[in-house]
Order: sequence, then structure tokens, then C-alpha cells
Amino acid sequence: MRAKLTPGLVLLLLFFVAAALLPFYVDPRGHVLRVAAMALLFAALAQSWNIVGGLANQISLGHAAFFGIGAYTSTLLYLRLGISPWLGLVAGAALAGLAAALLSLPTFRLKGHYFALATLAFAEVMRVIANSWAGLTGGPVGLSIPFVGSQPLNFAFRAVSSYYWIILGLLVLVCLVFRLLASGAIGYRLRAVRENEAAAEVAGVDTFRVKLTASVISAALTAVCGSVFAQFTFFFDPDSIFSLAGVSVRMAMIAIVGGLGTLAGPIIGALFLIPLEEAANAVLSSKAAGLSQLVFGAILIAAILIQPRGIMAYWPKRWSRRAAPAAVPHTEPALAKGSQ
Amino acid sequence: MNAHTPVLEAQAIAVTFGGLKAVDGISFTLKAGEIVGLIGPNGAGKTTLFNSLVGLQHLTSGQVLLGGEKVSGLKPHRVAGRGMTKTFQNAALFPDMSVLENVLTAALLRHDLASARARARAVLERLGLGPIAETDVADLTFPQKALVEMARALATEPKVLLLDEVMAALTPSEMDEVMAVIRSLRDEGLTFLVVEHHMRAIMALCDRLLVVNFGRLIAQGTPAEVANDPVVIEAYLGQGAAHGAAPGGTTAAGGAHA
Amino acid sequence: MGRQAGALNRIPVAAPSPAGEGFLLPIPVDIMLQSLIDGILLGGVYGVIATGLSLVFGVLGVVNFAQAEFLMLGMYVAWFAWRYLGLDPLLGSVLSFVVVFVVGYLVQRLLIARVLKAPPAAQVFLTVGLLIVLENAALMLFGSDFRSVSVPYQVQGFRLGDIFVGAPYLYAFAAALFLSAALWLFLDRSWTGRAIRAVAQDPMAATLTGVDTRLTYGVAFGLGVALTAFGGAVILPYITVSPTIGGQFVVVMFTVVVLGGLGSVAGALAGGLVVGIVQSVSTLFFPIQLQNLCLFVIFIAVLALRPQGLIKGA
Repeated sequence: MRAKLTPGLVLLLLFFVAAALLPFYVDPRGHVLRVAAMALLFAALAQSWNIVGGLANQISLGHAAFFGIGAYTSTLLYLRLGISPWLGLVAGAALAGLAAALLSLPTFRLKGHYFALATLAFAEVMRVIANSWAGLTGGPVGLSIPFVGSQPLNFAFRAVSSYYWIILGLLVLVCLVFRLLASGAIGYRLRAVRENEAAAEVAGVDTFRVKLTASVISAALTAVCGSVFAQFTFFFDPDSIFSLAGVSVRMAMIAIVGGLGTLAGPIIGALFLIPLEEAANAVLSSKAAGLSQLVFGAILIAAILIQPRGIMAYWPKRWSRRAAPAAVPHTEPALAKGSQ
Repeated sequence: MNAHTPVLEAQAIAVTFGGLKAVDGISFTLKAGEIVGLIGPNGAGKTTLFNSLVGLQHLTSGQVLLGGEKVSGLKPHRVAGRGMTKTFQNAALFPDMSVLENVLTAALLRHDLASARARARAVLERLGLGPIAETDVADLTFPQKALVEMARALATEPKVLLLDEVMAALTPSEMDEVMAVIRSLRDEGLTFLVVEHHMRAIMALCDRLLVVNFGRLIAQGTPAEVANDPVVIEAYLGQGAAHGAAPGGTTAAGGAHA
Repeated sequence: MGRQAGALNRIPVAAPSPAGEGFLLPIPVDIMLQSLIDGILLGGVYGVIATGLSLVFGVLGVVNFAQAEFLMLGMYVAWFAWRYLGLDPLLGSVLSFVVVFVVGYLVQRLLIARVLKAPPAAQVFLTVGLLIVLENAALMLFGSDFRSVSVPYQVQGFRLGDIFVGAPYLYAFAAALFLSAALWLFLDRSWTGRAIRAVAQDPMAATLTGVDTRLTYGVAFGLGVALTAFGGAVILPYITVSPTIGGQFVVVMFTVVVLGGLGSVAGALAGGLVVGIVQSVSTLFFPIQLQNLCLFVIFIAVLALRPQGLIKGA
């Protein structure tokens, strides 16, 4: 694929420009910008997940593990050794990539439900370790990053807008990586693996290496998001950072609601869901604890039932075809075999 | 390699599924530029044999040599890299991709993206599939799928190509076209092992036939020799009697897909 | 366990049982045997809880990530039955079974039925969505308080030489065994039970022989979640219920099922015993927080090496 400027791509570029200008039009220290930054961060997370979940159709329910590895690595390096989170972020990405590679060994053969279960268990392992190994991680109370004013070299800023722009840059980077993968040789191989692994092997695709590459890249990007999240929020604890519903599922859900395997899907999903969730929290959480989360779950169910291919399914086929979703029911093999 | 060196050599290969011998010690050789037919009743172990040659199926014992080098034990993509691949009986295409993309993915084995694209187009033209290059494979007819399957296999640029019923469901004239393509590829040095149920095609196309039944090689020779071999005739006639009540046969075929 | 003797020396005199909550072992002579028995009693209940999950997968081909929330539901039903009807949870469990069966049947017909033919991603996230909804609905309706029951036999027990068997554990185990036997009879003897097994094996053929597959799927799902709910109810005398209780059982449940082979009912029962014993015995060797880590390791290892299950067909 040459970089053809499809209407969709133009829209995406326009979106990035508009997003970059947002801090000039809203209160640079205000709530709106924080929510916008969170939406962009979750778009980046969903896009990272999309590399594995969308392109390779490996349904991971454990990406919180990599998110947490990123957050803990950069924060601990900073708090204990005074290493700048900018470097810690790289270390976190490397560590998460390594973890993903190790996890690939026992799980690369697994598909569908089994893969989801194994990844879920991995994230739970990380959560248990973070809670129990208090000497290293601080245990269940979590970690706080002291406020030090503006120290750009230490990833510390006064204005929300600085974090916002960094997060936007991260989103652009993740989208770029996704697009390079999706439209490059590995994109074809990933799609082949997703659709028929045995046939892909016979056609010369090294399925293990392809999946390994995708999951390592996906994990590393997720970890970067984790480091940035930690710097942005100043505080996190094991149960929230390794959370199934709050991180793993949310990442996936955003990609699915937007459009699995598509470039714009995670962005659309995040812009739709995060503000919605924020509004639900603001309006509903005073009424009853749990109501906003309940709405979140209900939206997930509704999204799956109404349109498993996500919002992108309503986009003109020409543009969304590129990575036409993995969520289309395939014909039953039993029927296909019936006549042989 | 001179004309007498076997390009493919199977040495006493065996595949066992939980006690059932799907392939039971088969040995044969293919010479470069040969077109060899593999025939036998349903459930005789043909597909399992194919799978074990390309590395999709682990051998219980025996080995496979390609151009004198051992390829058994390698993963299928490595075997493809060494120059042997197969087509799938039930057209295992990548359903979400266009015809071109299917073939292109295989061409990536030896080319970068840009030249793989050109390469894939050339293969499609050769098989007369140029006009449908941009079609989604989901929209193809069954015979077209079988041809795309063959195109995808060819795009890996094999020395030995195993064709599993690519001509099923073709009309006689289409069949003649495909046979002409196979012959012309053979003339360029490609070696074929062909499973086909159309006896007319097998007899017309193949230089030599291997006959398997119950996982064993029961006969081999020229089409004429095999057609008159009493063992072969019995195997085929016997099948009629066994077919109605032979769960063993379906199990072997089912196992081959697992 | 070659390190048994060494481990014994390190054991504190009073080791907390896996279920926690003030159940202290008396001075033991053979801790190993004691924890083995604890493990078996716990494992029997795990077996019933996980059988439901396995049944749902075996028949519908769907891994129900929300299964543990039905355990929570069963516990609440039993708690309210105790609080307002004065029913012992062992009897209330029957009510839990019935109520959750109805809820499960409706959930299947209204939601799960629509994704039965969809790819795994849709199934996974539908049930994950259900998990989130059920957990938070419980939080809204019942608040985040931990609720427990008090029954006369709560602190009673039986002494067999040096071994102490807690009455609530024993009763829960007995109830679990009883239900397992009933399930076996149902699947083996009743027409509906046979229909469920037929659909699990070959939905198409079952339809041809006159089985209403849609109804059967609904019943199987209802039955699956009801079994889990029953298991939740009978442990109420020794485990407190809260909206997040499901999270504590997810891992146990999936480990049991993966050990026994997804879809295998007998495997789930055997897997339950194994997990109960592993969990109980591992507290002798590891700090209690790391107890679940052992399960995770087993879980991932089994998935990787033998995803069809260790027990089934082994």
C-alpha cells in the first residue's frame, strides 16, 4: 500500500490537527482537557490492543499486565533510582515486550476462548505479584509520584495541556505503527494467520514469528501507555492498574465498539465511550454506586448484539474494507464439509 | 541435480492417530519433472500423506527428503521455503482477502511486498485468473476457489507441488485447461503429486500412479499397468462393500483434518 | 511431595484454612492429612461450582466469563432466604438453584442465543459485559457490605483422632456430592438430560431426532448457572457474600474446568478435588497471598500443554 489519501485518512489527519488545537479553546487546567487526554490515552491503548486483537484476532483479556508493567517500571525506576520516566518508559516497553514473548511460548497455539483465558490468568498473576511483593511494588497501597512542579526532563509538568499533547503524540505514534503493520507484509501475514493458520503455514508464513512480533509490539506500546498514565495520574495501585474490567476489557471494548481491526475504530470508540462514561459517572454515581459501571457493561453487551463489527461498519465499505473485521461469522465448517 | 536424482523421497513414513495407522510405512520417490498421481479409496490416507509430507502432520516414523535434504520435522513454512507445498482439498483460502491478496501473501515467502504483488499477478494471469484478481474470495465459485488455491501454492515457487483435488467440480473443458497449465509448469521443471478423483484426468495427466489403501502403498506403475493390476481392482471393488459400514475410513479422514 | 517433612517443621502451629474467616486448626499432629481433608471438602464444592461452567461450554460452546457472578447471585438468594424466611443456606440453596435457573434460562434466550454462531470475540465480550452488569447491579441493589449468615453448626466440628472436620465444610461437601449425583441421574436418565447430551454431541442430529435445540440450550445454560449458584449457597455458612465475591472464584473455577477439560462434567468434579487439595496444601508451603499463584501457574501450564484437559481422556 502506498500512502494513498483516502477520504478516511484525510478525516483522520484533520482529527489529529483539531485535537492538537483543543487546549487553546478549553481551560488548559480544566476537567474537559483531562477527560480528552484520557480519551486519547485509551484510544492509544485500544489501538495497541487492536494490533493483536484486530489484526491477528487473538482475543487478549490480559493487556492490563503490560499496562501495569509499564506503569510500575517507569515509576519504580524514578522513585527508587531517580531515573527519568522518559527512560523508564523505554525500559517498561522492553520489559513488557519480553513478558509478551515469554507468554507467547505457552500460548501461541491457543485460540479464541482458550487464549482469552490464558491471557486473563497472566494479568491476574501480575496483579497478585504486585499485591504480594510489597518490598518491590509497595503492595496494595500502590505508588504515588510526588508533585515536583515543572521538570520536563522528568516527565513532570504543571499544565494538563503538556500531558495532553504528549498523549496525543503517543496516539499518533501508535496509529502510525498500526498502519505500517496493517498495510505492510506483516499485515498480510497476520490476516492470513487470523483466517486460516494451517493454510498460512503451508503458504510459507511463519505463523509463530508473525504472532510473536505482533504481540511484542502490542505489549510494548501498551506499556508506554502505562508509563504515561502513571505520570499523568500521579497515583496507581495494583488492583486498578491490573484491572480486568477497568483496563483489559476497556481497551478491547473500545476497539470493538469502534471497529475491530480498523485504523480509525479505536479512536472513534474512545471518543464515543470515554466521554460517555465520564458523563455517566458525573450524573449517575451520585445516584447509586455501580450504576455507571453497569451502564458501561450494558453498552458492551448492546454493542456486541447490535453490531459486532462496531461503528466502523457504517462507514463506506471502500475504506473499512482494508481490515474488514474478524467479527463476521464464518460459514460453519461442518456444513462445508458435508458434501465431500 | 541430474534427471535421475529423486527430487522427493519418502522413506517408510508412518502416521498413527491413537492406534489407528492412517499412513502405514509408505515409501516412494518422485523424479524431477514428473507428474505422479496418488489414488485410492476414500479414507485411504491420501490427505494425511500430503499433510505429513508438507509438515502439517507429525510423522510417527520415517523421513522425507526434498532434493536429498531432510525436511520431515520442519514446520510447514520451512518446508515451503525449501520448495514443497500443497493445496487444500476444501479450498482453505483466506476468506476475508481478495484473490490477489491471497496469492500475494504466499509470494511474500520469497519477495518483498512490491515484487510479491507483481509476482502474484503473474501467477494469476498464468492460471487465467487475472480478471478476478480483485474479487473477494468469498464471492468465488468452488472451481475458482480451487484454482486460486493452486495459484497461492504456485506463488511460493515450489519445486514440488502437491495438488489435492484441484479439478473436482471443473467442467471437462476447464479440466483440460488446468491440465495444460500443469503440463507447461512441468516442462519448466516443476514436479507434481496429484490427488484426483476424476480417473479421466488422472489417466491423461500422470506419468505414473501410486495406489494407496488402508494407509499402505499397494501398487505403483504407469496408468495402464495400474488399471490392470488385480490388487488395485480389488481395492476399489472392495470399497463398495466396505463403504456403507466403514467408520474406520471416516475416522482416518477426520483425523487428517485435526 | 518430597519436601513434606521439611515443610512440616516450618508450619506455624495454627495454620489458617484456605477459606479464612476464623477457622483455626486445632493443634495438629499430621497437618498434611488435615489439609488434605480440608482440600477435599473444599474441592467437592469447587467441583459443583465448576461443573456448571463446564456444562455450559460443553453444550453451547461458549465460555461464560460471567459464570462466577451467578455464584454471587446464588449466595444472595440464599442469604435473603436465611434473613427473611429463616431458611438454612443448605435448604436455601434449592431456592438459589431454582431462581438462578430461571434467570439463566432468560439470559440465554435473550442474550447468549444471539451469539451462539458468532466468532469467539463476540461471545467472550458478551459474557464479559454480563459480568460487569451483574456485579454492578448487585452493588447497586445490595450495597458493598459483606453479608454472612449465622447457623448453629457454624463453629461445630467432628474430631477423628487428630483430624478436625468443620461441620459447615462437611455439610457443604455433602450437599455438593448430593447435587452431583442428582445431576448425573438427570443427564443419564431423564429425557431432557439426554437431549442436552445429544445437543452437546451433535446439534444437527439432535434436531433431526426431534429435540428442540433452542429450548435445550436455554435449559442447559440455566442448569449450568444454577449448579454454580447452588455451590455458592452451600458455602455461605463459611464464606461471606459481597458483590465482588465472583472475582475470587473466577480463577478457581477456570482452573478446575481447564484441568478437567472444558466441557467435561466428570472432569470438572475431579478437577475440583485437585484444585481444592492444591489450594489447601499449598498454604503449607507458601504465604497465603500467593495461594492463587499456584493455581495460575497450573492453569497456564495446563492450557499450554494440554488444552483439552488433563483428566478427560487421560
